[in-house]
Amino acid sequence: MSDFQELIKNFPNIREYVRDFFVYGFKTRNDFKDKSPRTYDNQRRRLESWLAPYIRKDYVPEGSNLSLAIDSNLLDTNPLFQVWKTKSFTDNDIVLHFLILDLLQNGRALTVEAITDMLLSEYETLFDIQTVRRKCNAYAKEGLLQKQKNGKTVAFSLDNTLTNWLNANENIHDALAFYQMAESFGIIGNALSEQLDIQNQAFRMKHSFFVHTLEDGMLLELLDAMDKELMVRLEIKGSKNEQLNTANCIPLQIFTSTRSGRRFLCAYTCTKRRFTCYRLDAIKKITPLERTEDYGELLAKLSRNRPYLWGVSFQGQERQRLDTLAMTIWALEPTENYIVDRLKREGRGGTVTKIARNTYLYEIQVFDCNEMLPWARTFIGRILSLECTAKSVEKRFYNDLETMYRMYGIDEKASNT
Amino acid sequence: MELFSEVYSCYYRVLRHLLCSQNPLTIKEIYNRICQEGFEESLLSIIPKLENGSWDLFRRDGELYLSKLSPSFCTPLTDLEKSYLKALLADPRILLFLDPGQAETLNRLLGTVRPLWRGEQFCYYDRFADGDPYGDETYRRHFRLLLKAQKNRQFVDIDYNSPKGNRVHHYYVPMRLEYSTKNDKFRLLALEQNPHRTNKLETLNIDRIASIRLTEHTLSSSIDINSIIQNSYYKEPLTLRIANKRNALERAMLHFANYEKNTVKIDENTYECRIYYNQSMETELLIEVMSFGPMLTVIGNKRFLDNLKTRLKRQRRLIFQDHTFTSMFRCY
Repeated sequence: MSDFQELIKNFPNIREYVRDFFVYGFKTRNDFKDKSPRTYDNQRRRLESWLAPYIRKDYVPEGSNLSLAIDSNLLDTNPLFQVWKTKSFTDNDIVLHFLILDLLQNGRALTVEAITDMLLSEYETLFDIQTVRRKCNAYAKEGLLQKQKNGKTVAFSLDNTLTNWLNANENIHDALAFYQMAESFGIIGNALSEQLDIQNQAFRMKHSFFVHTLEDGMLLELLDAMDKELMVRLEIKGSKNEQLNTANCIPLQIFTSTRSGRRFLCAYTCTKRRFTCYRLDAIKKITPLERTEDYGELLAKLSRNRPYLWGVSFQGQERQRLDTLAMTIWALEPTENYIVDRLKREGRGGTVTKIARNTYLYEIQVFDCNEMLPWARTFIGRILSLECTAKSVEKRFYNDLETMYRMYGIDEKASNT
Repeated sequence: MELFSEVYSCYYRVLRHLLCSQNPLTIKEIYNRICQEGFEESLLSIIPKLENGSWDLFRRDGELYLSKLSPSFCTPLTDLEKSYLKALLADPRILLFLDPGQAETLNRLLGTVRPLWRGEQFCYYDRFADGDPYGDETYRRHFRLLLKAQKNRQFVDIDYNSPKGNRVHHYYVPMRLEYSTKNDKFRLLALEQNPHRTNKLETLNIDRIASIRLTEHTLSSSIDINSIIQNSYYKEPLTLRIANKRNALERAMLHFANYEKNTVKIDENTYECRIYYNQSMETELLIEVMSFGPMLTVIGNKRFLDNLKTRLKRQRRLIFQDHTFTSMFRCY
C-alpha cells in the first residue's frame, strides 16, 4: 500500500462509497462487487482516516462492516464536511498559495514578473513565470485575487476588507455557526468558519440529514444552469436497476423534503413535455446545453401546478389529472386539539372542517394521492375513514392496515379490549 | 466556482495554522498540531514534505521551524464564499444575528456579487406551516438574549407559555439553540437545576417564551450536554425489521439517518435496524415508523411495541365501530 494517498482528485468517485457506508452501514467488502478489492481497500482506508472519530466497525460472518455512527442530536457540525476537504494538490500549489497571498497582504498591486522576482528575493523560492501566472489567473478566477489591466500591464492584488470585517464581527460568526448546519451549501459556511477560526458551540439541528451535503456539487451546477436559464443533460443512476439513463431537461426549482432531507430537481422534460422530479443523489453528471427561450413561462406554469403537488409527483397511478383524498379524524376536544393543529400545520393547503363533535374532515385535491399515504398513516389510531377518488390508493391504505393488524396480532376481539 | 477545491482543504487549514504561529516550532509541536487538526493519516503525508523542503514555507534554524509568512496573514474570500454570504443576507433568519446596520454593511462590502441561491429557487414542500416569527422584534430580542446567555453560561429567568396553556416560570441555563428544518422552529435546550442540584435538560419553544431576564448567576461547573442526552436514551433501542420491498430499505435508512442507528443484514431481503432514542423523541419516532406501514416491523423494545399496538387496536376499533357514522359524511 506504498502508493496510498490520503487525498483524492475526484469527488464523484468517493461520493458513492461515503453514501453506502453512511446510509446503509451494513455493507461488507463482498457487497462492493463492481469495484476492485484494491480500490475498495484504499477508499475504505481513506474514509477511516477522514472520519476516524465517527467510524464504527462491526464484525459479522461475511467480514467487517464499516459504518458511520452519527447521531445528529449530539453534533456541532456535519462530519461529512470532511469529505469536501480532501482535494489533492501539487507541491507548487500549496507553496504558491501561501507565498503569493502573503506577498500581496498589504494591498499593493503587482505584476506576475514582480511577484516571481519577489518570491525569490523575499522567500528564497524559485518559480518560473508561467507557473506563477497560471496560479494568479486561477486565483483571480476564484475571486481570491483582483486582476487589473492598465494598458498592456496586468497586475494582481488582494483585498482583505471583507475578511477583516468578518473577523471583527461576532454576530456573523454566530450566523455562520448556524447556517452551516441549517442551510444548503453548509460546507461553504463551514469553510468560512474555519477560515475565521470559529467553531459552532451554540446550535444543534433537530432534523438534520448529513448525507445530503454530498449532493452540493450537483446543486451548485444546477443553480448555475437555472440562473442562466439553460437546458441541461442529466446522467441519472436508477435507484432500483442501477442503470445509467440520460434526460434532457430545463431545471426550474429544487424541491426539498424536510422529513428525509432528500432533494429533487424539478425540471421540465423536453421529450415528455411535462414536469418531472429527479433525485439529486441519483444525478451523476450534468452537462449544460443551450439557453431556453420560454424559461419564464415554464416557471409560471410550475407555480400554477405547485398547489396540487403533495410531494414530487405530477401524476398519479390512475393517470387522472387530479384526485381528491378525504380523511375523517377523531380528536377528543379540547384535550386533543393538537391533532387538529397537526392537520392544519402539516396538511399542505388541505381544508380542515369540523363535521361533528370530536370529528374533523380533512380534504385535499392533488396530482398523486399515493404520495399522501405515509402522512395519512401517521394518524393511525384516529382515522374514522379515508376515501380517495383514486381507488387504488384507498385500497392500498386499507390493505396495508389489514397487513399491520395481522403483523401485530390485532384481531377484532383484541381491538375491543 | 469550485466547491471541491484545495483552498478549502484540511491540509491548507493545518498549514495556515502552523504558518501563522508567532513562535518557532519544533517538529514535535508540528506533529501535535497535525494530529489535532488533520486527518488520522495526515501526519504521514505532511511531515516528509516539510522535512525535505518540498513545501518550502518555513526557514530552518537548527531544529526549529520559522514561518516565512507575516504574522498578520489572512486568507481572502473566494467568490463562492462571497456569494454564499450574499444568499444568507436574503434569508429571513439573518436578522436574528445581524442588526440592520451590520446587514447593510455586509451587503455593501459584497457589492455586486450574485447570491449563490435565491429563496424562490427552493421549495420545502413538507415543511410545517407554523414556523417561528423571525420578523417579530420580541422574538429576535429573546433569541439574542438566549444566545448571549448560552455563551456566558448565564442563568436566565424565563416565563413560558406551555403547550397545555399554563404559564411556567423557571431558572435555566441555555445549553444550545436547536433548530428544526421540518418545523422551521428554534427550541431552547436548557438546563434546569432542581433543589437537589441534579441537572435536567428541558426543551422550550422559543416562540412560546413570554419573557426572559438575564440574571447575575453563571454556571460554575462545566456540563457535558452530550452525556446528558446520551444518558437519557433508553437502554433498549427500537428494533425494526425491514423487508426490502417498495424500496423500503433505502427509504428507511435515509429517513432514520439522523438517529444513531445500527443495521445488520439478516438474510437476502431482510435487515434489522436498531435506533437509539429517548422519551422526548418517542412520539415523533412512533409516527415516523407508522408512516412506513407494513414495510417495517417493530420487534422491540416492548414499550415502543405496546404503543404501536395500542394505536393499531384503537384504529381497528374506530373503523369497525364508526363505519356507519362516517358514511353520513361521505363527500362522494
